[in-house]
Amino acid sequence: MTITAPGLELRQLSRELEGRRLLDGLDLQVAPGECVALLGPSGCGKSTTLRLVAGLDPASEGNVLLDGEDLTLREPGERQVAMVFQSYALYPHLSVQGNLELGLKVRGVPAAERRQRIDAILDLLQLGSLRHRRPAQLSGGQRQRVALARALLRQPRIVLLDEPMSNLDAQLREELRPELRRLLCGGEQPVIYVTHDQQEATGMADRIALLEGGRLQQVGTPRELYENPANRFVASFLGRPAINLLPMAHRRQLGLRPEHLILGEEGPLAARLLRREWWGHQQLLWLESDQGPLRLLTSAAAAMPPQPRLSWQRRHELWFDADSGARLAP
Amino acid sequence: MRLLVLLWSLGPLLWQLRTSLLRPEALVAPMAGSNPWTLANYQLVLSGDPPFWRYLTNSGLVGLATTLLTLLLAVPCAYALQHHRGAWRWGASVALVAAAMFPTVLLFLALLEIARSLGLANSLLALSLPYTALSLPLAVLLLRAGFADLPGELEDAARLEGLGLGQRLRHVLLPLLAPTLASTAILVFLASWNEYAIALTWISRNDLLTLPIAIARIGGSSVFTIPYGAFAAATVLGSLPLLLLVLLAQRAIVSGLTQGAIKG
Amino acid sequence: MKLSGAKALLMLPALLLLVAVFLYPLLRYGWLSGHASSVLTGLRPVPNGGANWQRLIEDVRFWKDAGQTLRFAFCSVALELAGGLGVALLLHQPLRGRGTLRALTLLPWALPTTVMALGWRWILNDPHGPLNAALRSLGAPSYGFLTTPATTWFFAVLADVWKTMPFVALLLLAGLQSIPADLEETLRLEGASRIQILRRLTLPLLVPYLSLALLFRLAQALGVFDLIQVLTGGGPGGSTESLSLYAYLNAMRFLDFGYAATVMLATFLLLAVLLGVGWLLLRRARIARTTGGPA
Repeated sequence: MTITAPGLELRQLSRELEGRRLLDGLDLQVAPGECVALLGPSGCGKSTTLRLVAGLDPASEGNVLLDGEDLTLREPGERQVAMVFQSYALYPHLSVQGNLELGLKVRGVPAAERRQRIDAILDLLQLGSLRHRRPAQLSGGQRQRVALARALLRQPRIVLLDEPMSNLDAQLREELRPELRRLLCGGEQPVIYVTHDQQEATGMADRIALLEGGRLQQVGTPRELYENPANRFVASFLGRPAINLLPMAHRRQLGLRPEHLILGEEGPLAARLLRREWWGHQQLLWLESDQGPLRLLTSAAAAMPPQPRLSWQRRHELWFDADSGARLAP
Repeated sequence: MRLLVLLWSLGPLLWQLRTSLLRPEALVAPMAGSNPWTLANYQLVLSGDPPFWRYLTNSGLVGLATTLLTLLLAVPCAYALQHHRGAWRWGASVALVAAAMFPTVLLFLALLEIARSLGLANSLLALSLPYTALSLPLAVLLLRAGFADLPGELEDAARLEGLGLGQRLRHVLLPLLAPTLASTAILVFLASWNEYAIALTWISRNDLLTLPIAIARIGGSSVFTIPYGAFAAATVLGSLPLLLLVLLAQRAIVSGLTQGAIKG
Repeated sequence: MKLSGAKALLMLPALLLLVAVFLYPLLRYGWLSGHASSVLTGLRPVPNGGANWQRLIEDVRFWKDAGQTLRFAFCSVALELAGGLGVALLLHQPLRGRGTLRALTLLPWALPTTVMALGWRWILNDPHGPLNAALRSLGAPSYGFLTTPATTWFFAVLADVWKTMPFVALLLLAGLQSIPADLEETLRLEGASRIQILRRLTLPLLVPYLSLALLFRLAQALGVFDLIQVLTGGGPGGSTESLSLYAYLNAMRFLDFGYAATVMLATFLLLAVLLGVGWLLLRRARIARTTGGPA
C-alpha cells in the first residue's frame, strides 16, 4: 500500500489509440494549490494527459488519484474537474449568464443560489456588464474570462487549463498571466496548465513537466530544468535562443547556452561574425566557428573585437551523449 | 441567360397556372367575346368528394409524421456513428450512401406484403414507417456531417459540467445543429410529400390518398379526356405549399444538399 | 471503446427499420423468385425450382426493357450533367436576387413527379396542348407527340431532365463554391482565358461533385418509375417501358408475384453491378489524378 499525499497524483498513466502510444507511463504529483505546467511540442501527450485527468478519454493503463481517491473510472461530470479549453468552448447559443448557468441548472442548484454564485463570480472577474452578451459579441480576452468564470463556478477540486491563452495576442497574454495566477493558484486545488510556450510555462507554473513523444522528460522548477536539464531535449527545448550544441570527442556533445558564451580576444574557440540581430537591450550574434555555427547573446553595447574568440565558465558546460542525448557528467 | 433558365424552370408551371384559370371551352378553342378566365376549376376541385384539401392534409400528415420519426431515429444514430471510431464506420457510410441511392420502387412488393399481413395498408401513419426508412440514410449522413462540424470541445465542456447525453443533446448539441436539422427536415418532408410507388400500392381508400396519387388518379381517369382545367387547378394547389417551402427555406435546402455532397 | 455498447443501442432502432425496409425485401425477393406465386397458384407460393429465372433469361420483354432503361438513364443523366453544369456556372456568378433565382430554379425538383408528368401530358396534348397550338400557329398540322416511340421517348427524357437538372445544378454549385477564389485569380493573373480556367481548374476540382451527381442520378434514373407510368404508361407499344414499370405490372396487373420478385431482384442486381463498376472506375480515376498520373 502506497501512502498518498494530498493533491493530484497520476500513476503510470497511459493512453493508446489505434496502436499509437499517446501517453506512456506518466507519473506526476501536483500538490494542493500548486500549478504544474505541462510543456512540450505538439503531439507530445500534454493535451492527452489533460483529457485523461478530466475523464474525457479513457486511460489504457494507470490511475488518476485525488487526495488518495481513485478517479480513473469516474465519469467526467462526477470528478468536479474544471477545464478551460483552448477554444474556450463557450456555448455560442447562450448568453454569458446562460453559459454559467447551464451546469448549475443541470445539477439542480436552486435558482436563488445559482443567481448568487453567478453574481459573485461575475464580480470577481469584472464581467457584470457583459452578462447578457453572446460569446460572439465578446472579445478574445473577454471570452477567456467567461470561460474562466465558468470553470471556477464549479468550485472544482482540480483545475485544468488547455492552452488558455494561445488565442490571445502577445501583449494581452503578458497582462493576463499575473491575474490567472492570482485567481487559480495558491488555493486548495491542484492546477495543471498545458502550454507549448516555455515563457508562459515559466511565468505561470511552480513546476514544469516537460513531455516528448508521450514520455515525461523531466519535472522540476523552471530553474531546475534550465540549469540542470536531464537530457539534450530538455536543454534545447528550454531557453531562447536555443542552446548551442558542439560536437566533441568520444561521441559527446557540449551544450553551451548563448547567454553563457563570452566574447573576447582570447578563449578556446575562434569565431567569425555572420549576422547581428539587435534586440534593444541585447544583441544576438550569429557566429561561425571551427565547431559549426553558434548563437551568442550579449549586451547591446558589447563591441566586436577584431579577432573574436569565445570563452565560457566551466560551470555552464552541459555534456550530452551524442547518440542518446542523455546527460553526462562533465 | 438568367431569363432563359427561369423560363425553362417555370414555363411549364406557369402554363399550368394559366390552364387552371381558363374555362374548359377556352382550352379547346379561343373564345371570342366573353371572358375566358374563371375560378370554376378551383371550385370544382375543392368541392369534389373528397374535397381536394383532404389530399393536402393527408400528405401533410404523412410528411410531418415521417419528418418527426426520421429525426427521432436519425439523431441518435448519427451521433453514435460520428462518435464511433472503428473499422466499420467506413462500411456504415458506404451502406448508407448505397441505401440513399436505392430506387424505392423495387421495394414496394415486399413492403406491401408486410403491410397487408400486419394490417397496415390504408393507414396514413403506417405509411410513414417505410418513408422514414427511405429517408433515414440521407438524414443520418447529413446529421452526421453536422455533428462532425461541431467543435468537440463544446461537448467536452458540457460533459465536464455533468450533462448526460440527453442533456447535452437538448441543451448544447441540437440547438447548435438547428440549421442542419431544419434542412434535413425539409428534405425529408419533400421526399415524403412526393413519394409515389409505395403510396400507390398501400393506399386504396379514396379519402386517404396522398397528393401524388390523387393527382395521378385524376389524370389516369381516362387517357383521352383528362379534365385538364380541374387537374391544373389541382396541381397549382398541390404545388403551392412546396413553392412556399422552397422559397422560404431555399438556403436551408441548398446547405443541406451542399453538406450531403461534401460529406457524402 | 468502452461505450460502444451504449452507442450501438442508439443506432439500433434506425438499424432495425433499415434492415426491415431495405434488406428484408431483397431476401424476400430471393425466396419468392424460387416460387410460383400467381393467380394460377391461388396466390400461394409454390416452389418451382429455377423456372422464374429460366423465364427471365428467355423473356424478350425484360431484356428489351433493360436496354430501354439503360438508354433512358444514360441520355437523361448526360443531359442533366451538361445542363446542370451550365446552370451552376450561371448561378455561381454574383447576381442580385441570387437566392430567389436559386429557389425558383429548384422548384421543378421539389414538385411531385406525377404532378409534372401530367402537366407535360397537357403541354403535349393533341390537339389542345400549347405545343400543338404553337405548331398550328406556324401553319403546321398538330402532332401526336405521345403516339410515336421516338417523340415519346424524347419527351420522357426531356421531362426527366427538366425535373432533376436543378438538383444536379445545386450539387455542382456547391462544388463551385468550394473552390477558393484565389485559385482562379492566380490563373487569371497568368493570363488564362475563361475556357482555359474552366478546363484546367474548375472541371478537375469539380470531379468529386460530378461523380456524386452522376452516381446518384444514374441510380435514380435506372429505377425510373413514376414519370414513365404517368407520362407514357410505358407506351406506345412498350417502347418506353422501364424495368421498374415492368416489375410493377407483373405484380399489380398480372398478379404474378413470383415473377415480379424475380424481375425486381434482377433489376437490383443489374443496377448494383452497374453502379459498383461505375464507382470503382470513378475512384480509380480520382486516385490516378491525386497520385499524379499523366495529366
